[in-house]
Amino acid sequence: MLTIYTDLLCIGAGLAGERAAVEVAGAGFNVICLSLVPARRSHSVAAQGGMQAALGNAAMGEGDSPDVHFADTVKGSDWGCDQEVARLFCDTAPIEMRRLASWGVPWNRVVAGVHTYYKGGKPFEKEERKEKEGLIHARAFGGTAKWRTCYASDGTGHSVLYTMDNRAAQLGVEVHDRVEAISLIHDGGNCLGAVCRCLRTGKLVTYISKATLIATGGFGRIYRASTNAIINDGGGLIAAIETGVVPLGNMEAIQFHPTGIVPTDILVTEGCRGDGGTLLDADEYRFMPDYEPEKAELASRDVVARRMTEHMLKGKGIKSPYGDHLWLDIRHLGEKHIRTKLREVDEICQSFLGIDPVHQLIPVRPTQHYSMGGVRTNKDGAAYGLSGLFGAGEASCWDMHGFNRLGGNSLAETVVAGGIVGGRIAEFLAGCELAIRTSVVRDRQALDEERVKNLVEKSGGSENVYQVREAMFDVLQEVAFIYRNGKDLESGVERLKEILARAKNVRLRSGGVGANPELALAIKLPGMVKLAQCVVYGALKRTESRGSHTREDYPERNDRDWLTRTLATWREGADVPTLDYEPATPSFELPPGDRGYGGGRIIPMDNPPAGPGADKE
Amino acid sequence: MPRNLTFNIFRYNPQDPASVPHMDTFVLGETDSMTLFIALGRIREEQDPSLQFDFCCRAGVCGSCAMVINGRPGLACNTKVKDLPAEITLLPLPFFKLVGDLSVDTGTWFREMYQRVESWVHTERVFDPAQEEERMDNDTANRIYELDRCIECGCCIAACGTARMRKDFLGAAGLNRLARFLIDPRDQRTEREYFELIGNDQGIFGCMGLLACEDVCPKRLPLQDQLGFLRRKMALSVLPWKK
Amino acid sequence: MTVDTTMHVSAPGRSAAYLDWLQMLTGAGLILFMWTHMILVSSVILGVGAMDALAYFFEATGMAQVGGPLIGLAFLVHFALAARKVPFRVEQQKIIWKHAKMLHHRDTWLWLVQAGSAMVILLMGSIHMWTVLTDLPISAAKSAARVQQWQWLLFYLVLLPLVELHVGIGFYRIGVKWGFIRRDNRAKGVKSEKVLTIVFVSIGALTLIRFLTLG
Ligand SMILES: Cc1cc2nc3c(=O)[nH]c(=O)nc-3n(C[C@H](O)[C@H](O)[C@H](O)COP(=O)(O)OP(=O)(O)OC[C@H]3O[C@@H](n4cnc5c(N)ncnc54)[C@H](O)[C@@H]3O)c2cc1C
Ligand code: HEM
Ligand code: HEM
Ligand code: SF4
Ligand code: F3S
Ligand code: FES
Repeated sequence: MLTIYTDLLCIGAGLAGERAAVEVAGAGFNVICLSLVPARRSHSVAAQGGMQAALGNAAMGEGDSPDVHFADTVKGSDWGCDQEVARLFCDTAPIEMRRLASWGVPWNRVVAGVHTYYKGGKPFEKEERKEKEGLIHARAFGGTAKWRTCYASDGTGHSVLYTMDNRAAQLGVEVHDRVEAISLIHDGGNCLGAVCRCLRTGKLVTYISKATLIATGGFGRIYRASTNAIINDGGGLIAAIETGVVPLGNMEAIQFHPTGIVPTDILVTEGCRGDGGTLLDADEYRFMPDYEPEKAELASRDVVARRMTEHMLKGKGIKSPYGDHLWLDIRHLGEKHIRTKLREVDEICQSFLGIDPVHQLIPVRPTQHYSMGGVRTNKDGAAYGLSGLFGAGEASCWDMHGFNRLGGNSLAETVVAGGIVGGRIAEFLAGCELAIRTSVVRDRQALDEERVKNLVEKSGGSENVYQVREAMFDVLQEVAFIYRNGKDLESGVERLKEILARAKNVRLRSGGVGANPELALAIKLPGMVKLAQCVVYGALKRTESRGSHTREDYPERNDRDWLTRTLATWREGADVPTLDYEPATPSFELPPGDRGYGGGRIIPMDNPPAGPGADKE
Repeated sequence: MPRNLTFNIFRYNPQDPASVPHMDTFVLGETDSMTLFIALGRIREEQDPSLQFDFCCRAGVCGSCAMVINGRPGLACNTKVKDLPAEITLLPLPFFKLVGDLSVDTGTWFREMYQRVESWVHTERVFDPAQEEERMDNDTANRIYELDRCIECGCCIAACGTARMRKDFLGAAGLNRLARFLIDPRDQRTEREYFELIGNDQGIFGCMGLLACEDVCPKRLPLQDQLGFLRRKMALSVLPWKK
Repeated sequence: MTVDTTMHVSAPGRSAAYLDWLQMLTGAGLILFMWTHMILVSSVILGVGAMDALAYFFEATGMAQVGGPLIGLAFLVHFALAARKVPFRVEQQKIIWKHAKMLHHRDTWLWLVQAGSAMVILLMGSIHMWTVLTDLPISAAKSAARVQQWQWLLFYLVLLPLVELHVGIGFYRIGVKWGFIRRDNRAKGVKSEKVLTIVFVSIGALTLIRFLTLG
C-alpha cells in the first residue's frame, strides 16, 4: 500500500481545513490536505450570506463590539456554548476579516450616503458615514443586535474559499483531492494518520502524520432532506467515532431551516419571509398566524420549522413524488422587488424548479441545515481521547454554537478556529517526533483492506446499500427531526440498531471495481448509521428543550440538570454509544437567562453564577 | 402526460481492464421539476449502481457536475429535463482526464493553472492585525467579485476549440483568473510581470476568439470582454513607446 | 562569441505579441485591399471606361507594379502567421471536427469556415494574382475575355464567396479578439459580418455578370 508521510494531515480542504493548513504551512511545516472533491468545491463555497465579525463600520452596526457579538452568540446557543471559546471567537473574528481582506477577499465596502433597505416589504432609509467609506461593510442577519455580517455580494463562501485556496497554493500546501479518509490510525493514545481510499482508482493509501486535523464539515447527509452538499456525510466523524476513544459532542444539536425547496432542498433565504413572504398549505391557506398569532412567518427559524412540520403531519401538506411540502408565496411582493431584491431566490426558482416566483408558488419544506455537534475538542482544537488529533470547523464541537448557531457565525468560525487551531498545531509540531509501532499501522491497513475485499468479493451479505440508507433516512426524518419525543426516539433507537446490522450486511450489485460509487457508500454506511444513532440516542437521553433540540414531552429548558454537553463514544461491539456529560462551559461570563426571543419556560440552575456587575455590589 | 426519457450515457471505467468505451441506454419516467441531478441519482440507485458522475452542491455553485448535455458543456444539476427532448445524450467533459463514465478530473488542471498564473495577491505589504483594513472603493470590490465568480467547472475549457487542439492553452478560465488580479489594486505585479505569464501563444495570443467559452459559461462570466481587454492590454504593452 | 546561458530557460519574449499584431495588421491590410480591389473591378458595372480609367490610374502611378507584389507579400506573411493556428496534423484535424460537430456552436463553425476558405484562397488567390499580374496592363476587355471562359468563370464563382466569407469573418474576428465587439454589441457585430459578406458577394456577382455580358 502506498504510504505518504507528512507533518500535518488535514482531512478536509474546506475553509476550516485550509485556514489551519495555511497557518501550519506558514510556520514552516509540511502539510497535506485531503478532500473528496477539489478543494474549491468544498461546501464552504455554497455559503452566500456572510460572516459575522464586530467591525462596526456599517451605519446599522454602529456601537457594535466583540462584547455585543459575544452576548448574541451565547443567547443564540441557548447557553449551550463554551463561553471561553465564544469569547475567543468574537475577539478574533474582526482581525480574521481584515486578514482575509489582505489576502484578496473582495469584501463589499461602505459607500457613504443615504441608502434604502427593505423590511417587511417596505423601504426604510439609513445613512452611511463619510469617515467609514471604503471600510468593510456588513449586512443584517437573524438573531443579532447589529448589522455585523461581512459579505462579498451573494458569494461570500465562494470568494473566501477561493482566496484561501489561492493562499494555500502560494504556500505550497498540497491538496490531494478525490481522496477519502476512511479510518484513523491510532495506538489508543496517539493519532498517527489515516487510511484513505483514492476516489480516482479505488486503491487504498496510507497517510502517516505527526498531527491529524479533522475538518470534514457537516454531516447533514445522514438526513434525507438537507441543504448540505451531497458529500457532507460525516466521513471525518465516522473515522473519529470508530476509534472507540474519541467522543463526539452534542450530536443531537441539529439546526433546521424552514425553507429548503422541493425536490433538491436547496436553501432559499430567510429574506423571502423577512420581506413579507407567506407560507400556504394544500388549500393555499395561510396557516402560520393560527399557530403564532403575533410573529406568524417571522418567528425564529426553529419555531417556523416546527409549525410547518406540525401542519404537514395534520395532512395539510401538498403531496409530491418527493414527499409532502408546503408553499412559499412571494407573488404579492411584485415583480420589481423579486427580480431585484430577491434575485438569488428568483434564480434558484427559475434554474432548479423551472417556476417563476412572480406568478407561481414555491414548494418548500423544513430541511436539515447545520450540525452544531462534532468531534469534541478543547479550546485549542485538540480532540478528546487521542493526542495529535485536532478538529476545526463544522466537523468539530469546539463549541461556540451550543444548541443553536447564529447565521453568519459558522463561516466566521471556520477561519477563526482554523487560524487558532492551526497555531496550536504548529506549537504541537515543534519538537514533536513520532514513534510509530509499525504493527499498529499494518493492523489498521489490514482491517480496511479486509472490509473492502469482503464487499467487492460479495462474501455473504444481502442488503441493498441504497435501501438501507433509505431506512436510516426514514428514522431520522420521523423521530429526530424538529419535534422529538421519548416514545418515537425510543423506537428510533431500536430501529437504528437493526439498520446498523443491515448496514454491515450489504451486498454490492455492481462490480465494485475502481472508483465505484456504490462501494464508497457501502464502506461508510455503517458509520453513518452510528452517527444517526448518536443523534437519536443523544436526543432521547436529553430530557429538555434547548435551542434547536425540541422535546414535546420536555418543553422547558432545564438549566438545573442539562446545562451540559453530551459526549458520545462508541465502544467496540456496542450497538449504542456510551454517553457522558460535561459542563457546557467552564466559566460564565454571561449567566444563563432569557434569550429575549423564542419564549419557553426555563428551569433555573440551583446555584446560578454571579452575573456581570454582581461583584460591584 | 409525463414522458419517458431515454438517456444515452457514455460508459468507460479506465480502472477495469474489461471495460471498453461505449454508450449505455437507460429509460426513466419524468417527474415534476426533475433535473439531471435527480435523474442520474435515480439511474444509479435503481438501475446501475456502478454509474460514475460527480455532484456536490447540486445547487449550481461548486462546479462539480459539468458534462456534455446533448452536445453542449453545462452543469447537470441546474439542467431541467423539461427543457430537453425526450432523448438525452450525456458525455463526460472532453479535454480533462477521464475518471470514469461522466466523471472527469478538473481539479488537477485547475491547480496547475493557479501555479501558472500565480493565482494569488502578490504584495510586499505585511499584514498587521492591529491596523484598520486598507480601504477600497466598493465599485472596485464589485468588479473583482464579478471575475471572482468563476466556479472552475471547466465548461469554457472543454468548449474551446483552441484548448482542444493545444493542451497547453490557458483557456478562458485561466485568463479570466489573471484578469481578476490585474484589476485588483492589492496585487502589486507590474504589467511586464503579467505579460510574462500570459503574453504568449499558450496565453492570451493563443485565443482565436471562438467565443464558445462565452456562450457556455454557466455563471455568465464576461469572458469575451475580459479576453478582449487582456489582448489589448498585453499587445499594447509591447509597443516601443510604452516603455 | 557569446554563450547563451539562458538558452534552456527560454527567456520570456515578446515575439508572440508582435506576431499577433502582424497577423491582425496583415489581415486588416488585406481587407482594405480587397475593398479597394472590389472598387476597381466592380467599376466595370459603371462602364468599361470607368474600369479602364481606374486601371490606367493605378498603373500610371506605379501602384499596380509596386502594390501587386506588396499585396502578394502581405498575402504570404498573413498566410504564414495564420497557419500557426491551423490544425495541419491529422490528429488535431480529427479533434476539431469532432469538437465542432459535438458543440453545434456558430462561432466555432465560423472559424472552421475561415481556416478552410483560407486554404482555397491561398491556392486560387496565388493563381489569380499570377495570371493578372503577368498580363498587365489590366483592362476591362481582357478581364471580360477571361471571365467568358467557363473555366475562369467557375474559378471566380468559387473564389468570390470564399474570399468574402473569409473577409467577413476575419473582420468580425478582429473585432472580437481585440475587444471592439463585446458582449453588449456582439449581436450587432454578427449582423454587420453578415451584411458585409452578402453585400460584397452581390457586388462581385454583379461584376461577373457585367463581364459576361460585355462584348
Ligand atoms: C446552503 C448553506 C448556506 C450557508 N450559508 C452560511 C452563511 O451564509 N454564513 C455562515 O456563517 N454559514 C453558512 N453556512 C454554514 C457554513 O457554510 C459551513 O458550516 C462551513 O462552510 C463549514 O466549513 P468547513 O470547512 O468546516 O467544511 P466544508 O467546507 O464542508 O469542507 C469539508 C471538507 O472536508 C472534505 N471531506 C469530507 N469528508 C472527507 C473524508 N472522509 N475524507 C477526506 N476529506 C473529506 C471535503 O471534501 C471538504 O473539503 C451555510 C451552509 C449551507 C449548507
Ligand atoms: C485576401 C486574402 C485574405 C484576407 C483579406 C484575409 C483576412 C483575414 C483577417 C482579417 C483575419 C482575421 C485576423 C486575426 O484574427 O488576427 C484572417 C484570419 C485568418 N486568415 Fe486570412 N485573409 C486572407 C487570406 C488568407 C490566406 C491565404 C490564408 C491562408 C492560409 C488565411 C488564413 C487565415 C486564418 C487561418 C485566419 C484565422 C487566424 C486566427 O483566428 O487566429 N487567410 N484573415
Ligand atoms: C494585386 C493583386 C490583384 C490584382 C491586380 C487583381 C486584379 C483583378 C482583376 C483585374 C479582376 C477582374 C477579373 C480578371 O481580370 O480575371 C479580379 C477579379 C477578382 N479577384 Fe483579383 N486581383 C488581385 C488580387 C486578388 C486577391 C488576393 C484575391 C483574393 C484572394 C482576389 C480575388 C478576386 C476575385 C474573387 C475576383 C472576381 C471578382 C468579382 O467578381 O468581383 N484578387 N482581380
Ligand atoms: S469561466 Fe465559466 S465556464 Fe469557465 S470554468 Fe469558470 S464558471 Fe466554468
Ligand atoms: S472559446 Fe477559446 S479561443 Fe478564445 S474566445 Fe474562448 S478562449
Ligand atoms: S453539483 Fe455543484 S454545480 Fe452542479
